[in-house]
Amino acid sequence: MVDHTVRSFDADLETLDRHISEMGGIAEKMLSDAMDALATMNIELAQKVIETDLRMDALQRTVEDLAVRTIARRQPVAIDLRDTVGVIRISADLERIGDQAKNIAKRAAKIAGEARLPRAIVGLKSMHDMAANQLKDVLDAFAQRDPDAAKAVWRRDAELDALEDAVFRDLLTFMMEDPRNITFCTHLLFCAKNLERVGDHATNIAETVYYIVTAQNLPGEERPRGYDATALA
Amino acid sequence: MTQAMTQEAPASRDKLSEKMSVRNLDFYYGDHKALKSVNMKFYANQVTALIGPSGCGKSTLLRVLNRMYDLYPGQRAEGEVLLDGENILDPKLDLNALRARVGMVFQKPTPFPMSIYDNIAFGIRLYEKLGKADMDERVEKALRGAAIWEEVKDKLNASGLSLSGGQQQRLCIARTVAIQPEVILFDEPASALDPISTAKVEELIDELRRDYTIAIVTHNMQQAVRVSQYTAFMYLGEMAEFGETDQIFTAPKERRTQDYITGRFG
Repeated sequence: MVDHTVRSFDADLETLDRHISEMGGIAEKMLSDAMDALATMNIELAQKVIETDLRMDALQRTVEDLAVRTIARRQPVAIDLRDTVGVIRISADLERIGDQAKNIAKRAAKIAGEARLPRAIVGLKSMHDMAANQLKDVLDAFAQRDPDAAKAVWRRDAELDALEDAVFRDLLTFMMEDPRNITFCTHLLFCAKNLERVGDHATNIAETVYYIVTAQNLPGEERPRGYDATALA
Repeated sequence: MTQAMTQEAPASRDKLSEKMSVRNLDFYYGDHKALKSVNMKFYANQVTALIGPSGCGKSTLLRVLNRMYDLYPGQRAEGEVLLDGENILDPKLDLNALRARVGMVFQKPTPFPMSIYDNIAFGIRLYEKLGKADMDERVEKALRGAAIWEEVKDKLNASGLSLSGGQQQRLCIARTVAIQPEVILFDEPASALDPISTAKVEELIDELRRDYTIAIVTHNMQQAVRVSQYTAFMYLGEMAEFGETDQIFTAPKERRTQDYITGRFG
């Protein structure tokens, strides 16, 4: 696309993009660190994730502030307006992903002393792999402003929902097998929910990217949804 | 922000009546073709903004709508411009009657060098013979309609030229409104005004929409967004895109439109 006649406008939009990719990178790292902390009972690492969340909050405020100033200064329209409003929404979703990672890290620190069941974490790791992939793909879709890639992420969310359902059933089984597993597995249930929420935020970002590029909304009701495990809870 | 300034969603197009329609309009300045097969509509009680880079033909189009161009030799229009179904390009048309129905407000305020009262009464006298009381009433109504009555009611005998720029422009709008036109054309009505006067003129345009069909040429994108329900983007004498203002400024269909409104024109 031809650059703006007013160059500093391009600089504003590029700065917003850069902040989003920084937030995306931090969110990915927080999520994998939180999972490592959970798997290895590493309280120190968990603590680090919790502290990193402050950086995410600050970055989100920076993005919002800069976006608001861009709107005030440049009165963006069309693609520029969708872009500016879009990054505000994406930064909020990324900040929420940071919160999910923080929640997992908090639980990791809390259950570090509990009796544990290593095989109970296997399903969560798969969920993390899938959620992390979704996050990576949607960040790429944003960076390249690729609506098809965004739509692919949006479609795949059902798989993560289905996996959460499977993990839910597994954890229930472990709890029934031995009541001593209940505390540990209950915490893991919440972690599974956190990972499922990460997928939802990735899906939100996919919708935003699609809107930025095409000015169309992905059909809200038609997203293929997996079986809702929470309906059982 | 006042009630009148809030932008309601435009009524759906099929509910609107077409006050003016431009069909396959070509326009020539001598040999130079300034408009190329332009098609568009002006809906009754809606504000339609004409935007586009300098020289794109938007002011030319505006000048065709009341045949302003007839004043200049060598300029001619081909095609059709219908006002309530009647082709105003018809050479037999009574131009005075047309210009009474289609009024125009220019970029620079152009008050006559006479009293505020006579600025308004002058136009009315061309078309109607009124007694003093009736004339007073019409002058007051026009000045109220242009949201300037409160500011000038105590000095109606002062010269129109003694007013500020913003007041002069509203005086000119009052003069246009006084002869009770059906369509009002605005050619960059606020480009020479300060922000407060601009806001007053914009609010006035929104109020005038209740009674008139309005076309406005503006270089100010934000102004087009604020005052209009429909926007026509013109480029190199062609109608590049015409649609609801909300659509044009959030999701333009044409690449040229997007490049222009986002400030990406090379």
